[in-house]
Amino acid sequence: MNWLLKYLLKIKPNFEKDGKLEWLYPIYEATETILFSTDERTKTAPHIRDSIDIKRVMILVVITLIPCYVFGALNVGYQNAQALGIARGWTENLLFGFKIILPIIIVTFVTGAFWEILFSIVRKHDISEGFLVTCALIPLTMPPSIPLWQLAIATSFGIVIGKEIFGGVGMNIFNPALTARCFIFFSYPSRISGDQVWLVGPDGYSGATALSVPASTKGSDAVSLLDGIAQFDYSWYNLASGWIPGSIGETNKFIILGAAIVLMGMKLISWRVILGGVSGLFAMSYIGMLLAPYSDNSMLSIPPHYHLVMGSFAFGLTFMATEPVTGSHTDAGRLFYGFFVGVLTVIIRSINPAYPEGVMLAILLMNAFASLIDYFVIKINVNNRMKRYAQ
Amino acid sequence: MPHINIKKGHDLQISGLPDKTIQQQIKSETVAILPTDFRGIKPKLIVKEGDNVKIGSPLFFNKVNPDIKWGSPACGTVKTIEYGPRRVIQKIEIQLSDSQESEKNKKYKNSEIIGLAREVVIDTILGANIFPFFRQRPFNTIPDPKVIPRDIFVSAINTAPLSFDQEVVIKENLESFQAGVDALNTLTSGKVYLTSKTGSVVSSIHNVETYTIDGPHPAGNVGIQIHHISHLKPGENVWTINSQDVITIGKLFLRGIYDPTRVITLAGPCIREPGHFRINAGAKISTITNGRMINDEKRIISGDVLTGRVTSPEDFISFYDYSISVISDEVKREFIGMLNPGSSRSRYSLTPVFLSLSKLLYPFNTSQNGSHRAVVPINAWERVLPMDILPNELYRSILAKDIDEMEMLGLLECDDEDFALCSFACPSKTDVSGVIREGLDILQAEG
Repeated sequence: MNWLLKYLLKIKPNFEKDGKLEWLYPIYEATETILFSTDERTKTAPHIRDSIDIKRVMILVVITLIPCYVFGALNVGYQNAQALGIARGWTENLLFGFKIILPIIIVTFVTGAFWEILFSIVRKHDISEGFLVTCALIPLTMPPSIPLWQLAIATSFGIVIGKEIFGGVGMNIFNPALTARCFIFFSYPSRISGDQVWLVGPDGYSGATALSVPASTKGSDAVSLLDGIAQFDYSWYNLASGWIPGSIGETNKFIILGAAIVLMGMKLISWRVILGGVSGLFAMSYIGMLLAPYSDNSMLSIPPHYHLVMGSFAFGLTFMATEPVTGSHTDAGRLFYGFFVGVLTVIIRSINPAYPEGVMLAILLMNAFASLIDYFVIKINVNNRMKRYAQ
Repeated sequence: MPHINIKKGHDLQISGLPDKTIQQQIKSETVAILPTDFRGIKPKLIVKEGDNVKIGSPLFFNKVNPDIKWGSPACGTVKTIEYGPRRVIQKIEIQLSDSQESEKNKKYKNSEIIGLAREVVIDTILGANIFPFFRQRPFNTIPDPKVIPRDIFVSAINTAPLSFDQEVVIKENLESFQAGVDALNTLTSGKVYLTSKTGSVVSSIHNVETYTIDGPHPAGNVGIQIHHISHLKPGENVWTINSQDVITIGKLFLRGIYDPTRVITLAGPCIREPGHFRINAGAKISTITNGRMINDEKRIISGDVLTGRVTSPEDFISFYDYSISVISDEVKREFIGMLNPGSSRSRYSLTPVFLSLSKLLYPFNTSQNGSHRAVVPINAWERVLPMDILPNELYRSILAKDIDEMEMLGLLECDDEDFALCSFACPSKTDVSGVIREGLDILQAEG
């Protein structure tokens, strides 16, 4: 590949200061450093640096998302075949799914790259790899039936309002991928509010999501309601293994669990957020179950282990809540931050009458409160130090 | 004996570890003192070019505190005095004469030293012109000899990459080390703390509080040890001194002369047969590295690879440095390097990708391994900082130049060398230790 490097270095002067294409430097820089690792050297101590960099961090996260894509494609094909009432092989399901998903991925990446490049040219900074993760996450949170123009608008909103206006990756306060989804959620609620199943099926085909089943029936037990649904298999195991209609990447909880373990093992995401999130979800849904006999709200009777596999909680917690920039920055803070994501998810799901799904709103809300949690953690740290100083 | 177990940190798996036996003395024809090695001093010359000096003769003093003088590390003639911009003295180079003579001071018996008055000990050390061996915390500068320090800390354990083996050096100088420790005892109103690994030769040293310490780098850094043994409070100051300089002080009292020899390591991936060498303080780099470097593009560092200073064969070893590390400066560009998460490059990464369990040593080079980006807080700093400090918040308070916040977040307990691993580990390639130093400079300027 030496010829390519030589060629790149040959055309480099055009993009550098006073070159003909100086304004395109960020694109050149990104191309060069994506193709070839950087040859930047340390100038001062420490003279050696670890091999991890932001490019690698981001690309590792994207790699862990690939299984979600593959299963997502498979499931889109499978749900379509179910809705049409026909039998289809695995390969055909997969191919059908990819045909649906591929345009979604392309539209997201093209829109995302457009904004990222535009902002780097205007603001004269390097193209940040963070948009790769954002753009890889957005399609996974979308229903397969999403119109592409809505997707393009949402991605633009997510990248620009969620990230670029704050100065780019590392400075944003809300998760850009969730900001994009939130935009669709409130702008085109009929498409994405979570009452109706999303699948690519015949016109007029509809059904209730697992979460809206207990939400729409009063005064009965959630699990028996779910078991009573004939259209889809809403048993616990099937909810966990993901052969249900839903957003593209969130249905299979086992794949998500695997990704979470890999990411935690590589220490790219904090186990504290995950632990806090799951305990928050369990604690709040247990309280809900205690309250269930006194209320006709069937949502309260959803047991904790069902909450864990219903909706997008697992996906949101693993890939969205753990985002290091928008979450809490202190270790103790991360536990609380995760805990409240779990608690709020259950509260929004069970008690809020409007939306059966609450993960997205819970995470965005906690994004807003993350620095408040940090504030108290810092205060405690400072107070402890002052106490030591006073001794 | 109290024990401290440090969990956070990282021992760099860098290749080119030094051999444990001390090689014979390397002779240098010229030696030099670089006044730029000392933070916050205003040097004023005592000698001029062509003057004859003995070992220990004063070369220059500090205008801010004229009691503090720097003794010549060799006997000979002052060859050149080099000035930088605004006539700041950069270098005082001494051509060695054939016979080496020392300035004579009063000798003491082993048993006498502990009973000496503080003034006598301070005057002896100041009179021998070797007081700059002491440094104080906070700020890591040369202390004021008139101020009585709360405690004095000596670390007899080195964890920094490719640093000298304290056991080997102290073992052959146990008597002088004890004499040095006795002298230190008279200087402080508090205690002299000595840290070592378990089962160390220093366990026989008395008149000290000995702590054993265990764990990865930076456990051997005296700043980390102060934090864990008896942390610094605002308004207090403690002194620190390298164990080899304690030996030098011991020799001063026992033999009445300043012995400028010291043991350093010459090590790193680009060194043939890395090992321990005895040199004259301030020796020329080329005399040490001569014939021992593997011939390719390389960077010579005075000090260790995490905190040292870039130097060249024509330069001289810094006053406080006890190692010379040589690493390759040749950085290869890997095709689609970022899609290569399990490559040998990342094996030694702190982010344990796939193969990190391997203990093979790695020839680190000067590659930054990535470009500078905004900080993404994935706890890379926290994992290598064994202190009760929130590094991220401290970093931001320094960027914001918020002095109250810096102090509240404990900046006074920090030194840039303790944060070197944070810079090493940072995925955004942030210069954390540089910012910490910047913060300390701001605090010091504020008084």
